[in-house]
Amino acid sequence: MKKNEVILSVSHLSKQFGSNLVLKDISIEVNQGEVIVIIGPSGSGKSTLLRCLNYLEVPTSGEIHLHGMNLHPKSSESEIDAFRKNIGMVFQSFNLFPHLTVLENITIAPTQVLKISKAEAVARATLLLKNVGLSEKINAYPRDLSGGQQQRVAIARALAMQPDVMLFDEATSALDPELVGEVLKVMKDLALSGMTMVIVTHEMDFARDVSDRVIFMDKGLIVEQGTPQEIFQTPREQRTIDFIKRT
Amino acid sequence: MESELGFWAFSKIVVLPRLLGGMYITLQLTLISGALGLMLGMVLALFRISRFSILKWFSLLYITLFRGTPLLLQILFIYFALPTILERYEINMVLDSFSAGVLALTLNSAAYLAEIFRAGILSIPKGQTEAARALGLSRHQTMYKIIIPQTYRRIIPPVVNELSALTKETSLVSVISLSELLYVTQRIGSKYLRVWEVYIWAALGYLIIVMVLSLIAARVEKRLEFKGGV
Repeated sequence: MKKNEVILSVSHLSKQFGSNLVLKDISIEVNQGEVIVIIGPSGSGKSTLLRCLNYLEVPTSGEIHLHGMNLHPKSSESEIDAFRKNIGMVFQSFNLFPHLTVLENITIAPTQVLKISKAEAVARATLLLKNVGLSEKINAYPRDLSGGQQQRVAIARALAMQPDVMLFDEATSALDPELVGEVLKVMKDLALSGMTMVIVTHEMDFARDVSDRVIFMDKGLIVEQGTPQEIFQTPREQRTIDFIKRT
Repeated sequence: MESELGFWAFSKIVVLPRLLGGMYITLQLTLISGALGLMLGMVLALFRISRFSILKWFSLLYITLFRGTPLLLQILFIYFALPTILERYEINMVLDSFSAGVLALTLNSAAYLAEIFRAGILSIPKGQTEAARALGLSRHQTMYKIIIPQTYRRIIPPVVNELSALTKETSLVSVISLSELLYVTQRIGSKYLRVWEVYIWAALGYLIIVMVLSLIAARVEKRLEFKGGV
């Protein structure tokens, strides 16, 4: 599945909040089908980096390339919207739309943004719900679902846009411990299916298990990156060693 | 002769037929200015949170003016002063008292409703906007498909508050001789010199309109609760 073809690349990305430089000249290349896990202490900038990848946070400088599309701090609103169609995102707090049913949550973006027909969107949603094991919840409202179920719907919602890359921003951090597994399983299935994924997580076992590459960040910098083996067993940098020891 | 009638007979023969006419005008004033006020209020609320500072400032100025001056003054200004101002610019606009009343009530209630809508929109968690934008929905689609529908249930109580206030404020239009409920009441009261019988019925008239309004609102609220609880 893993072709050595760069699908998403970030070059010299920096982000400043006021006088606080939270990302310092970050460059990453993500290959087609690659699963990247970003780890690091809180405040290391890993969530900000993820949010910069789809411009929920506009970087102060630097560029992002995806499929010949190119975003930079001066990109127009419509360029950003077009870019986002190709990048799915899953949030820590699920952020399902509470006034819409599960089905409507999943079909709204394909019908509104991609302008596909209602019937096709419903077919897509039905299949995705089956894949995340929630077929029977198709007409439920988000408030009737557990956290784990909501997050699985959120994943299906993002996948309905058929994105090239999926971003996961601490997707299991807000869940009760007994619900974490069901969401990680869906993420793992997705990884096995060949989806390109960039994941910010505190689940070290998951990182070890599923990722192709682990990036360790601290204080707005990429300190070290490598295979899970390299990062977890033979880290080279002192900061990485300290962090791995603590977790 | 009518002044010798008992309470019920007097009410039935003299008061109620005329009061119902006044109540009809009051209801029209309320519904028309309420509907227009809701629309204008939404536009003003969207201006107020717009990215464009000129719209923001216009809305703020509007709201400050219409909330900061008495409605009675606004009614008198629109009915008496506005035509003379327009005349200077050679615009001949004759506003009858009903149109002037609707205009004043609409402009005034829109200022209050705008702030209710704005508060409703700002009360929706930021994650909703982020999720919608991350899916590729435009700013516009996010506002109309995701954010505004979620505000409906939470703004119903303050909107009903404002519309109840509006119902009662229509009585101020009596100063420009529009024969709405209070105006008619005053006329009958002074004509027959039977004041309390007349005012009691008028009070009941306003009460009924406000109560019907609240009942409808409660229904709508219930229905929305059934749909996802937002």
